[in-house]
Amino acid sequence: MRSIDDFSRPLEYLTPLGEQVGEIIREWVEKEVIPYRRDFDEDYLEHRLILPPFRKLLGEYGIQRILFPEDLGGWGLGHSDYLSVAAFRMFEEIARADSGMAVAFGVVFWPLVLICCEPHVNRRLCEEFAPMFTGTREPVFSCMAMTEPQGGSDIENVEILKGSTIRTTAVQDGDEWVINGHKLWPTNTGGVADLMAVVCTTDPGSRDVNDIAIIFVPCHLPGVTQSSAYEKAGMAADKNGDIWFENVRVPLWYRACGPGDDARFYGEVVSLGNMGSIAFMTGVMLNVYEKVREFTSRNTYRGLPLKENDAVAGVLADFAATIEALRILGYQCARMCDRHDLYGPRWSPEVMAKARAHRYFAADRTLEAMGRVMNLMESFGADREWDVEKHWRDVKMVQLWLGGKQLSQMEVARWFYECETL
Amino acid sequence: MNDLGLFPYPRGRLQKADLDLAAELQSLVDKEIVEKRLELKEDYERLLKPAFVRLMVEMGLQKMFWPEDLGGEGHNEPGVAFTVMAALEQIACADVGLAFLAAHSFALQAALAGNGNLKREACERFAPLFCADGAPVIVSFLLPVFTEEESGATWRGKGLQVTARAAPAGWKLHGKCVRPTCSGADADLFGAWCAVEGEGQQAFILVPGDARGLARGPEFRKTGLAASRNADIDLAGVELAAAHCVFREEQEYRRLLSWYYLGLAACGVGALLASYRILKEWGDNRVIKATGNIFKENPLTGALMGEIAKEIAVDRLLAYDLAEMLAEPDTYGDAGCEGVFTAALIVVHHVLSSADYAIHRIMELMASAGYAKEWQLERYWRDVKTVQCYLGAYELAKHDFARWFYGARTL
Repeated sequence: MRSIDDFSRPLEYLTPLGEQVGEIIREWVEKEVIPYRRDFDEDYLEHRLILPPFRKLLGEYGIQRILFPEDLGGWGLGHSDYLSVAAFRMFEEIARADSGMAVAFGVVFWPLVLICCEPHVNRRLCEEFAPMFTGTREPVFSCMAMTEPQGGSDIENVEILKGSTIRTTAVQDGDEWVINGHKLWPTNTGGVADLMAVVCTTDPGSRDVNDIAIIFVPCHLPGVTQSSAYEKAGMAADKNGDIWFENVRVPLWYRACGPGDDARFYGEVVSLGNMGSIAFMTGVMLNVYEKVREFTSRNTYRGLPLKENDAVAGVLADFAATIEALRILGYQCARMCDRHDLYGPRWSPEVMAKARAHRYFAADRTLEAMGRVMNLMESFGADREWDVEKHWRDVKMVQLWLGGKQLSQMEVARWFYECETL
Repeated sequence: MNDLGLFPYPRGRLQKADLDLAAELQSLVDKEIVEKRLELKEDYERLLKPAFVRLMVEMGLQKMFWPEDLGGEGHNEPGVAFTVMAALEQIACADVGLAFLAAHSFALQAALAGNGNLKREACERFAPLFCADGAPVIVSFLLPVFTEEESGATWRGKGLQVTARAAPAGWKLHGKCVRPTCSGADADLFGAWCAVEGEGQQAFILVPGDARGLARGPEFRKTGLAASRNADIDLAGVELAAAHCVFREEQEYRRLLSWYYLGLAACGVGALLASYRILKEWGDNRVIKATGNIFKENPLTGALMGEIAKEIAVDRLLAYDLAEMLAEPDTYGDAGCEGVFTAALIVVHHVLSSADYAIHRIMELMASAGYAKEWQLERYWRDVKTVQCYLGAYELAKHDFARWFYGARTL
């Protein structure tokens, strides 16, 4: 019988490590996540069901150490030019079970990219934070604190706004930064994160990108306060909340890359976030394929399995075709993020714009295709027992995070059409 | 400006009483639901059930069609379609699930007590249930669905979930794991579309929720429509008097469905009007690019907001056009004729699909606020999608369109 493994992937891009970890994750989701996921929505505050599987994956299997250099107890993926492709496989496997978990998992590594990956490894910060991730069998979570109340996703719009809207400040006091501000919505907040990277300004209102600072802040420090998790339409495994910083002090060398480079490599965070989002979507689509295949094989219309009706088969074919196309697109995006020598650096405006384009195109197609198959299942499409509706709720959030669609459209138009005032 | 009048509708076709009712409902649901839902969320016992009692019992909506001599209001002429539309869109504005439940009640009332098709015996038996002051009557339907059986009676390709056998005293009903259209856990009256054993015919039989042999499964979780606590049910030899069979003719099924589709279209319009209010607030107050640009003044977001307004305006007109068709049987044909039934199916699919599209776009404009429960938009998104799912597969509805417009015979 055909399965999700019969959908195409660009085999020439795959890496042994990614495939090996992918297989481990598939086994993990089958045993530890899929049997429990229908109750995740009600677990959004406590994570009583969500935390144990993470404990196994991140802590016991040790995947949380994957980016750090091998001599610091990591697996050295930060030095690989297959980082994104390997990540794509992992994200896809987790999202097949629960895209909220995939987001929470991905964000563990998101800020660490700034210090663990070539060509901007910050050895001192790796040495500082590696033990937090490698010296425990408990899961350790990171977060990337970007969005602010007054400007929403304007923070991500570095190319145009150049950090001028950032209100979270980092003021040098001797050999320390003193951080004050308020962030909204970061993944893995609501009390989950142990370590965060905070996007700050060292000079409020400045349009000099040297004043954009990304500073690491351990969450246990005095002055860091987190709200409880927001209630959302889905994605319960991804806790989001407010974070307030009140005279939080960290060493000066907790700054990720330094003046100019923080803003520059911030683009990498955006590119990888977009690439990861496509993986979340294809993972969801693969599981919906499995569910819809089961539904249309079991249920009948005019005396035949539903899938044997030509009109229904047309919708099913479109769904499969969408997976085929998006998966190839997603792997291509990942490869683009990996091969700086061929495509330019992943923090460049070009790769950022292309990754944005890939992501919002993928999100539009995913939601359209999922909406159609959900309707095909009639009342069962809205029934939690079939899992499709959960994926549908979750994947809408994947479309909307990172600033939503319009911001992506502007970035894409700016690059491809050389618009100057958008 | 009051958005009751902002988006166009055939104002001249509504009676003053309809407009008054709509205004009264708007005021009621704002107070009973909208003002409380940030605290009570989608709490059935504390928010939705009391609101349903206010609407159906205290406002008297469940008495609307029934003859006056049986305790009803006798508002059963075809023009009541406008009243139904105006009432349901206001209710759906506050809560689509409540409007969805009320749509079931109105469809049944129209099928049994509509002027010109009034079924006196059925009215005498069932009107008292609706007209006694006290509890609301939750109506649910057991309509044809996809089944796992490859044989068995079907209607237009879908399996009938309930079989009825003629018994000396009336009917005996059987059905396993039957999926109701709503409220399987709570319904007081199920309208069961049955296959009659040995006849090859069908019967629409009303099954009281407390009938012996009717067992309700556990409430299942679903995407939206919290007011409808649904559960699959079993009918194990439920015995009912002959008068519980309220109709058997094909045209009468279609009439019930045409009215039902009007109700579901009104649900979609109400959800759109509510979503408009949320977007309006967002567009008026949100600043983008931190330069003082008001959201609605940006050319890209403003254009998308304009497109959303267009969807709402067109959908509302379309749904009122369907009300017009039902209100004028002499012009368009009876609600149960194939042409009106097909038009009703087209309108409801179009409106719900358009509502789904528009609310998706609003969510995209609002980014994370679109899916945060605090902003209340996401509930309309979930509710509309759920109504759309319960309406049935669009791909197969297209066959109904093709049958009528192209004379297709084997679809």
